[in-house]
Amino acid sequence: MKQIVAVGDMKVGTNGDILVTHALGSCLGLIIYDPEAKVGGMLHAMLPLSKINPQKAEANPYMFVDKGVPLLFKAVYGLGGQKQRMVVKAAGCGSPLGKNAMFKIGERNYTVLKKLLWKNSIILEAEDIGGTASRTVSLDLSTGQTLVKIREESKVL
Amino acid sequence: MTRSPKKKIAREIASFPSIPQAAAKILAMLDNPNTSAEEIGAVLRYDAGLTANILKLTNSSYFGLPSKVASVRQALVLLGWKKLAHLIMTACVSAVMDKAVPGYGLPMGELWRHSIAVSVVAEGLAKELEMTGVDEIFTAALLHDVGKLVLGAFIKAETDSVDATADRGISFEKVEREVFGTDHAEIGARILQNWSFPEQIISAVRWHHEPDGAPVSNPLIDIVHVANVLCLMIGMGVGREGLQYHLSDGAVQRIGLKEGQLEWVAANAVSWVEEILLSFATQFE
Repeated sequence: MKQIVAVGDMKVGTNGDILVTHALGSCLGLIIYDPEAKVGGMLHAMLPLSKINPQKAEANPYMFVDKGVPLLFKAVYGLGGQKQRMVVKAAGCGSPLGKNAMFKIGERNYTVLKKLLWKNSIILEAEDIGGTASRTVSLDLSTGQTLVKIREESKVL
Repeated sequence: MTRSPKKKIAREIASFPSIPQAAAKILAMLDNPNTSAEEIGAVLRYDAGLTANILKLTNSSYFGLPSKVASVRQALVLLGWKKLAHLIMTACVSAVMDKAVPGYGLPMGELWRHSIAVSVVAEGLAKELEMTGVDEIFTAALLHDVGKLVLGAFIKAETDSVDATADRGISFEKVEREVFGTDHAEIGARILQNWSFPEQIISAVRWHHEPDGAPVSNPLIDIVHVANVLCLMIGMGVGREGLQYHLSDGAVQRIGLKEGQLEWVAANAVSWVEEILLSFATQFE
C-alpha cells in the first residue's frame, strides 16, 4: 500500500508497501530499511530540537529530529528490523539563499541527525542534502529502492 | 523568448478577474472600528454562500471560540471587526486563489494552502514580536502570490529557458525578470492596484521577495517576506523553484526576530493551517 508521510510525521511499512513524502525543503527526510526483513520507515521532521516547543513535541514528536529519529528506529525494530542490517539514507535539509544563520534550519536538522547517528554508531549510507531544491522521496519496501525527485527528474539514492 | 512577453503579460493582468464585490466593500470599511453588524449584513446580503463560508471559518478551531457561532452579528461580537474582516476577505479571496498553478508546479489547492500558511505564520510572527498597527498583514499575506496566477502560464511555456536561468542559482524573482522582464511580485502588485487595494498591502505584495528594495521600509513587507520564506522551507506550497529565494538579513533585523520565535511559529504552523483548511473542506456538508 502507498502511504504518504506528511510534514512532521512518520510511517513504517513492510514488503509491498511504498512510502512517499513530498516537498522536503529545509525539513529532514530520513529513510531506513532492513533488506533482509524487508521492513522500513520514513520520517519527515521539520525542526532540529524539541526543546523549542515541548508542548508540541509531546503531541507530535515526529516534528523534531531529536525525538523523531529514535522513534523511527524503534518503530522499525518493532516490525522485525535489526540495527546491524539497517540501511540509512537522508534527504532534504535545504536552505533559502542568503547568509542569515537563523534560517539555516536545514543545516541544523542535518547536524542533529549526524550527532544522533554518530552516538549510536550508525552509518549514513547515502544522502541528498542541502541546496534550494524541493524534494520528493519514495521508498519501495519490496526492494529498498529509494528515489529522490527534484523538479521532474528522479534519481536513485 | 517570444517577442515582448511584457505586453502579453500586461494584457493578462488587464483581463485578470476583478475582486469579488463584497471584498472591495469590506476593504473600504476596514479602517472603521465602529463598523456595525447591519453594515456588514448589507454587504453580505446577496451572497448566501459567502455568509455560510464565513461562519464555517469563524467556527474553525484556529479561532478557538468557545461556542458555535450562528450569525455574522455573533461573529462580530466574539471576534471583533478586524478579525471578522480578515475572515470575510479569506472567504472572498479563496475563489480567486484556490487554483492550480502550472509553471510553478503547484497542483490544485497548493497555492491556496501556501496563502493560508503565510497568513497564519505572518500573524503568528507579528503576535510573537508584539507588533501593533499591522492589521492588514493577513490580507497582504493571503494575496502575496496572486501574480503567480498570471505568470505561471508564461513560465510553463518557457520552462527550458526558465530552468536554464534558474540553474545559475540567482533568486527566482530575478530569474523571472531576466526571462520575462517582470516578476510575480510586480504582477501581483499591479493586480491589486487594479482592485484599488490600500497602498500598504500593494507594497507588501510588490516587495515580498526584495524587502530591501522598497522605497519605504515597513514591518508589513518584512513580516510577509519572512513568513513566505519560512512556509517554503517547511514545504507549505513550495513549487518547483523550491527555496530559490533570497532571505533578507535586513528584514530579519528590522523586525527583531529571534531564532526561538521563528522555530516556535514554524512548529505551530502546520496545525494552524490544517484548522483553517478543514473548515473550508466541510463547506459542502
